[in-house]
Amino acid sequence: MSVKVNRRKFLKMLGWGGAGTALTGCDLPTTVTLEEGKEEVVSYLMPEEYAIPGIGVWYASTCTQCDSACGIHGRVREGRVLKLEGNPDSPISNGKSCPMGQAAVQGHYNPDRITSPMMRKGNSLQAVSWDEAMSALTSKVGPDSGVKGDRVGMITGSVSGHQSVVIDELLSQVGSKNHYVHEVVNTSVWSAVCRDMLGDDMPRLNYDKAGVILSFGADFLGTWISPVHNMGEYAKFRSGARGTLIQVEPKMTLTGGNADHWVPAAPGTEGALALGIANFILEKGWNTMEVPNSVRKSLAQYNLDAVEKVTGVSVNKIKRIASLLSERAPSLVIAGDSAGNHENGYDAVASIMLLNLILGNVGNTIEASAKFPEKSLRAKRGNTKDLLLLSKALKDNKLDVLISYNTNPVYTAPAVLQVAEGLSGVGFKVAFSAFPDETTLKADLILPIHSGMEDWGTHVPAYQPADESVMTLQQPLMEPIHKETRGFGDIMLSLLKLHNKDYEKFADYYSYLQAAVANMPADVTGGVSGPSKDLWTNTLQKGIVKAKAAANALAPKLVDMRFKVQRDDSGYPMHLIPSARLGMWDGRHANIPWLQEFPDQIAKVVWSSWAEVHPKTASKLGVKNGDYVRVTSASGSIEAQVYIHKGIHPDAVAVPMGQGHEEHGRYAKGRGVNPLKILNPLMERRTGELATHATRVKVTNVHKHEVLVHLGGSETQMGRRFVRTISADQLRRTEGEA
Amino acid sequence: MSLENILENFSDFRKTAEDGGHHDYDHRFAMSIDLDICTGCNTCSTACYAENNLPVVGKEKFEKGQAMHWMRVERYWQEDDERDFPEDGAQFLPMLCQQCGAATCEPVCPVAATYHTPDGLNAQVYNRCIGSRYCSNNCPFRVRYFNFWSYYEDSWPEPLNMQLNPDLSVRDKGVMEKCTFCIQRIRTAKDTAQREERALVDGDIVTACAQACPTGAIVFGDTQDPSSRVSKLWEKHDIHRGPFTQKKEKANDEVRGYRIFDELNVDPSIMYMERVRDTEV
Repeated sequence: MSVKVNRRKFLKMLGWGGAGTALTGCDLPTTVTLEEGKEEVVSYLMPEEYAIPGIGVWYASTCTQCDSACGIHGRVREGRVLKLEGNPDSPISNGKSCPMGQAAVQGHYNPDRITSPMMRKGNSLQAVSWDEAMSALTSKVGPDSGVKGDRVGMITGSVSGHQSVVIDELLSQVGSKNHYVHEVVNTSVWSAVCRDMLGDDMPRLNYDKAGVILSFGADFLGTWISPVHNMGEYAKFRSGARGTLIQVEPKMTLTGGNADHWVPAAPGTEGALALGIANFILEKGWNTMEVPNSVRKSLAQYNLDAVEKVTGVSVNKIKRIASLLSERAPSLVIAGDSAGNHENGYDAVASIMLLNLILGNVGNTIEASAKFPEKSLRAKRGNTKDLLLLSKALKDNKLDVLISYNTNPVYTAPAVLQVAEGLSGVGFKVAFSAFPDETTLKADLILPIHSGMEDWGTHVPAYQPADESVMTLQQPLMEPIHKETRGFGDIMLSLLKLHNKDYEKFADYYSYLQAAVANMPADVTGGVSGPSKDLWTNTLQKGIVKAKAAANALAPKLVDMRFKVQRDDSGYPMHLIPSARLGMWDGRHANIPWLQEFPDQIAKVVWSSWAEVHPKTASKLGVKNGDYVRVTSASGSIEAQVYIHKGIHPDAVAVPMGQGHEEHGRYAKGRGVNPLKILNPLMERRTGELATHATRVKVTNVHKHEVLVHLGGSETQMGRRFVRTISADQLRRTEGEA
Repeated sequence: MSLENILENFSDFRKTAEDGGHHDYDHRFAMSIDLDICTGCNTCSTACYAENNLPVVGKEKFEKGQAMHWMRVERYWQEDDERDFPEDGAQFLPMLCQQCGAATCEPVCPVAATYHTPDGLNAQVYNRCIGSRYCSNNCPFRVRYFNFWSYYEDSWPEPLNMQLNPDLSVRDKGVMEKCTFCIQRIRTAKDTAQREERALVDGDIVTACAQACPTGAIVFGDTQDPSSRVSKLWEKHDIHRGPFTQKKEKANDEVRGYRIFDELNVDPSIMYMERVRDTEV
């Protein structure tokens, strides 16, 4: 070994710098082939050795379609990956999957993948060789580039595991602190409240133990935290002594569609409703935790009549919800986008969290989660605060180099933030990207990366539902389809080698990960219980690594409760809801044809955008299904066909995220509209998040009609009794708890 | 089953359940779908696209009703609802071929392209199909899908075609198709069992929709095997093979199981379990 590395430094490089780690003896990690006979090759890297015609073989990996990090199995036949299923060993997916996971293969085989490095020459992007691309990259972010410090920024989606380690390492070598982590579909406000009131920003939620779940806009079956995991827990919640689900939200989400009781409180008044329920519970003495008199006093203003007036939810209904929470204890109270993404969203979610505290849910249905022991590997979850910070940095001309990976801020940023315009002021923009999306095509240098099914990686799920924390391995399910794509980790590693000679001993990202996993502490196990001799082989086979986590307990703490409903007299009477949905997510999957032809769960519309309005609103506007309306905010306007249904508050209009792409390949481009574009630049006051649900709009009829293309000939069953419904009482009598 | 055989013994293939059915069945594959834990998320439908080489038809053809979703999830709103809001949520229904025991699609096929297998499936012989579409006209569930166009070029531009499942064909223009209960998976499982010199056991075969379903609402199995999960569920919910004899709409009001259009006497192989709502709230 020519390069001297001390042990601590070595471990830090591998993302395990904590004290008390034991370095087991290891050979110099290199890539070895089966021919050399140096080790067992268990992954699918040598198809000619392993391809048995006609036989499908399953390999474990990790889904990268959203940031939940579900363990998957990929079916490989004749060297091609054909289908993905959940990995039963993964505590995140439990062997199940979601539409986005099922459709991941169409991202991998997408006809619009970028197949060679591209560089901006003059006004156009031209294909260049990797040598040219890498030397351009090195000249800007290499050790001799002269570009140092915070003039270099990186924007990524949620990131964890060793990808996060190499990003941190590169930025620290360059001396920059600017890592923007951006996701529109996030739970930042919820996490902030959990951190402040429970001492854990991502507590474990025991849906299955709850007798009643009261959700304020948390679409946990669709887009909230870890949908596949949540759906499995939901099934347990509904079986046996069937739990009751109450959903409070202005627009029916997938979760709302499954609620026993769907409550459309006026948009932005969720906090008042929660405090009204809390006040009533305290008055009745149903609370299991005592609260200081000062809190009681401040809650007293939320008497039921006042709350009914503000929220539009009747006194009787509020009483019924409150008594159910106490009768069917333990309960679980959660909050999502439509409650938290307002200017006072933190206060609303804190008010909602108060219910968990006084009802004694903390430590029962809400528990401390198992945190992965090594901090540098833990998930950095995307948010919209960083999007606002980036737009400010761009406006103030603070960046010379911006590297983007796995995120599309040009598409997701509201138009008024002028992210696209601001990017033109950045001297050198690099995009690590597989697809020609809006942000990628703005770059000066495009580095085509492997798809999620061709690349190596590790992921530490942000939401850890099991007693032991896990890290999941992403391994290639087949050889890269395109010759000229490279792994994200490989490119990062070759950059790091220039900065830090210590990295030179790793031939590639694969050998880096292999060394990193092999050098994990002794109590880390490779997906099988108990210590194993060969952690790496085990990890390849099972796809996961388990690590014991310190036992924590939540420390509930009351924060200042001061929810006030926001008034708005700006002349824009309606609330705009840019709704997220399982399938299209934030628009990243608009290039997947299966997900375009995939009917939205509620509106059942395909291949386009639509605006959901209540029949009352529709009759005021004089529109019928398929008519176009213009939705105008202070920041712009969009036009979409209406879909009229009762699952939305009459003061709200919902336009789903996902369409309205200017780029992103043939299936996405020029289809529908993007509601994010017309959002006002309003900020949640406590967290600095973009208040995506706070924008007010007016809706006008533009007197244009087209057929609204959607699934289903009729909106009701016309008496045919396909879906039959019985009461929960009857169920409890016949199937019940016994 | 040769064409000659069919022509000679045509009436044998038209036996209803009252006549003792078509076959001495080897298996009778069936499902149970619990509408209380089905969330309507559409995973089953996407999994079916991935498994069964279903083409994407695009917006214009979707509008004409030419989408090829073998498994589709319908969403219904409660009818005659006087309330301002759908207070008990939406109604979701995964709808797929019911693999009827006395299928209305089978006897009308002029060329016997749709026929009944000894496994209890309504099979479709693509090579025999002439595209008369009588079967889909006759299907009360509207789960037969006709290839009005050739999709193999438009729907899978390279390299999307590399994803196609080689275990089954891509169907061409003029051919009727529908859910097969993942017959290629059944075939593989049978071959494996035979090679291992054992009988099929419950769990050997999982359809793509059942495997993907994140809540486990779909259970697939063989009702000939009394120890299978699906048999036990059918038993528990008092659903039995054969003609529908009850005067009531449901076999047993005390339990949740029912079959859609049971009263048409088609002997569907899919038992649905009623959606539950807490009306007390």
